[in-house]
Amino acid sequence: MVFIVILIASFLLQMVLPWWIIVVISFVTCGLIGKTGKIAMWSPFFAVLLLWTGVALFKSLPNGNILATRVAEMFGVKLWWLVLMISSVLGAVVAGLSGYCGYQFRKAVLFKKASA
Amino acid sequence: MNKTKALICVIIPILLIYALNTKFGDTPPLLKFLNPFTGFWQNAERLSVNPNQSIVLKGTREKIEIVFDDRMIPHVFAQNDHDAYYAQGYVTAMHRLWQMDFQTRYAAGRLCEVVGKKAIELDRYQRRMGMVYGAQKSMDGMMADPQAKEMIFAYTAGINDYIHSLSGAKMPLEYKLLDFKPEDWTPLKCALLLKQMSAVLAMGSDEFYMTNIRNKFGNDVLKDLFPDYPFKEDPIIPTGTKWNFKPLPLPEAPADPGNITAGNIRTKEKEEGIGSNNWALSGSKTLSGFPILANDPHLDLSLPSIWYQIQLHAPGLNTYGVSLPGAPGIIIGFNEKIAWGVTNVAADILDFYQIKFKDSTHRSYWYNNQWKNTTFQIEKIKIRGEAAENDTVFYTHHGPVVYLEKPKSFAKSNNIPVGSALRWIAHDKSNELKTFYLLNRGKNYNDYRKALTYFTAPAQNFIFASVDNDIAITANGKFPLKWKNQGKFVMDGSDPKNDWQGWIPADQNPTVKNPPRGFVSSANQSSTDQTYPYYINWEFSPYERGKRINDRLTVMTNATADSIRRMQTDNYSIHAQNLLPSAMKLIDEGKLNATQKEGFSIVKKWNKYYDAEAVAASIFDLWTKRLQYDIWDDDFTVANIPMKYPSRDRTVQLILNEPDSKWIDNVNTPATETLSDLVLESFKFACDSLEKKYGPIGKDWEWANLKHTNVPHLAKIPGFGSKTLMIGGGKMTINALSETNGPSWRMVIELGKSPKGHGVFPGGQSGNPGSKFYDNMIDTWANGQLYDLFLMQSPTDPSARIISKLKISKK
Repeated sequence: MVFIVILIASFLLQMVLPWWIIVVISFVTCGLIGKTGKIAMWSPFFAVLLLWTGVALFKSLPNGNILATRVAEMFGVKLWWLVLMISSVLGAVVAGLSGYCGYQFRKAVLFKKASA
Repeated sequence: MNKTKALICVIIPILLIYALNTKFGDTPPLLKFLNPFTGFWQNAERLSVNPNQSIVLKGTREKIEIVFDDRMIPHVFAQNDHDAYYAQGYVTAMHRLWQMDFQTRYAAGRLCEVVGKKAIELDRYQRRMGMVYGAQKSMDGMMADPQAKEMIFAYTAGINDYIHSLSGAKMPLEYKLLDFKPEDWTPLKCALLLKQMSAVLAMGSDEFYMTNIRNKFGNDVLKDLFPDYPFKEDPIIPTGTKWNFKPLPLPEAPADPGNITAGNIRTKEKEEGIGSNNWALSGSKTLSGFPILANDPHLDLSLPSIWYQIQLHAPGLNTYGVSLPGAPGIIIGFNEKIAWGVTNVAADILDFYQIKFKDSTHRSYWYNNQWKNTTFQIEKIKIRGEAAENDTVFYTHHGPVVYLEKPKSFAKSNNIPVGSALRWIAHDKSNELKTFYLLNRGKNYNDYRKALTYFTAPAQNFIFASVDNDIAITANGKFPLKWKNQGKFVMDGSDPKNDWQGWIPADQNPTVKNPPRGFVSSANQSSTDQTYPYYINWEFSPYERGKRINDRLTVMTNATADSIRRMQTDNYSIHAQNLLPSAMKLIDEGKLNATQKEGFSIVKKWNKYYDAEAVAASIFDLWTKRLQYDIWDDDFTVANIPMKYPSRDRTVQLILNEPDSKWIDNVNTPATETLSDLVLESFKFACDSLEKKYGPIGKDWEWANLKHTNVPHLAKIPGFGSKTLMIGGGKMTINALSETNGPSWRMVIELGKSPKGHGVFPGGQSGNPGSKFYDNMIDTWANGQLYDLFLMQSPTDPSARIISKLKISKK
């Protein structure tokens, strides 16, 4: 569920908003409906990994990966798919961490309420 | 406890956003750049092209139809002049926005705004040289002319309408990498771009070297080693051409040019290779009976390409050629009746005047026996991430005082004498665009001559051919009327006799029409023989390329576009032809080791072509450079007195005719060296250093490997340049290729009932590294081939292969 929500929301909102909206989406989604820390970490991770890899390939494959190859050379990594991996994994890690933070934030706030 | 945890949970995501959305030093904002929704992935263009597009733009007056051929070259069909230039601005921005923006920021001294403090000296330099001052003067000239004004405003509107249509995701890649945004285009930016061309082609100066040499060795040596006319020459206007005008009287030279102490300065010498070739054959020498015109301007090569190809079609206008991204019209090209091209003249239109200030406020200076006030301008340099800086520049009537204090470790400033004022033609009011406006519409020789009168700088050898079988060439620009050698040395700024005192009348600029030899040509050598009544410069580019062109054209008959194309990539070295027979005789083979002997026999068998696989070219090139060093360095490299060596031409003269000259001996050794000693030493040196670098003689010694030609990205971003191109050519051959400098556009035009154009440049139409049209023409260029250029008659003309159409309507 978390996975689907983040996947769809990230896809739609990134059409109009900057990339960092994935941080907000992951945080809020996991803060609201993240059941466990594990889910809050890995659902946003894989949602963004899949989404970003998909969209990057959608742009790069019809381009024959010309640009990704040049960018790979610029970063000194030689192979275009390494740039793809770096992009997607970095985005995924950020989303995962944000999701986890959202979940922990809720726990912190709820704990506060419970003890109050 | 809980509050802390909650806080940490909020802070971590915020820090992540900050860290990955911010540019640190030269590292781009990582996820801003890498994310697939707005990052670089969005710049990956589909290999298949969208065949039909239509857009509504309120800036257009009537319908415009633009068709793109299979190299993505736009052919603009407009109903009026305004729309033609509007569309040119629009499509140029579509393909080259970042390049245009970056180049004009560079010209205006505004790089710090986008790259931070590291560009501060460059920004100061551009401003202190008066680039913006000159661009504003130039604007005055263009705004006073209704046609130039319309051109520039329409072009600007087209660029801005494109910029306003851009979404963040579609922003050119380099903006994402360097993390800044395009700003609106202005007419001043067009002027800045043209000024930058002047800076590239006409900013060199050796008057400080000359002053030092005169002070050290005296006038006799100076006259001997730095003569006012070369030993070997083959001038642009053929020797013996009559000057059918009554020249103006020359201004009087001051009695004694004075003891100017140039002192501790180094000048930037005009880099050889920033030059060009052009030639035109009359119908008597061609197979078709109509003229053929060729041009290849040599510049520092870059991607995105320096030039942008385009066809402009409107009532009264149908022309094709290359434009500069950022300036309306076509600079080098053709239409149905005429073809034209340019090479650099290298006139002496930049002088430095030593200024005597009254005091350290620099508010007044000594001139014509009285104190005269300076004016000043405060240059506000905005710096990314820091407070802006104010830099004050003082202006005398000569021009800006570039440096009052020499900046530390900034190479470009080595060029400038401290406390001197700069008089530079690029600071004068001008209207170069009008020249191209008229040439683009020109029909005959008279139109050509009229167009040239509007051109100020950088002075160019304008070559011309028409379907009426006229050919012509004119060394053209606004030339100051100087006494002989005025500006060969730094001048005393207080004596009015040193000022520029008038202009050579435009119709008296060196020109020739339909010379008996049946062709005209130029390769940056001397404009004329010594009978021309005016002084343009004392030194031009060496004559070898010009000589080779003239030698080949003299014997050519029934020329076709293909014979001219092959000539553009001719690698034959006249320098080797002049030098080798004598130099080889001076080498005693007995004194060579095995590798050197092998090298010697390779050079002996050499056909004198700088071909890609020529090992002899590698040896010869290093050898002669070292020989020049051996002859001159002991005398002309003296601590704190920067000087330059005598020219290659003078060196050849010395080797061939003065083998016993006193300059041969190395003054730093007790022995007395002979020419044979130096020739032998330099030959051994060449072979030894090649062996050290590349091992035993073999494939690695080949000229292409040594030369290492490649086309780098404009901002030198790794991965965005070309691969190394294993091709021949050399600075002193017609195919004037060095590492990253060479023919930036090769064009051959066959005039006739309907003209046939052929051309190529090293790059592509698109400035986007993510487009297949970014560098698609490089291999064709490297192979010495040309593409057909389509001068279409209508958007549906079947002669061109059209892959995409763009219709622009008002509503």
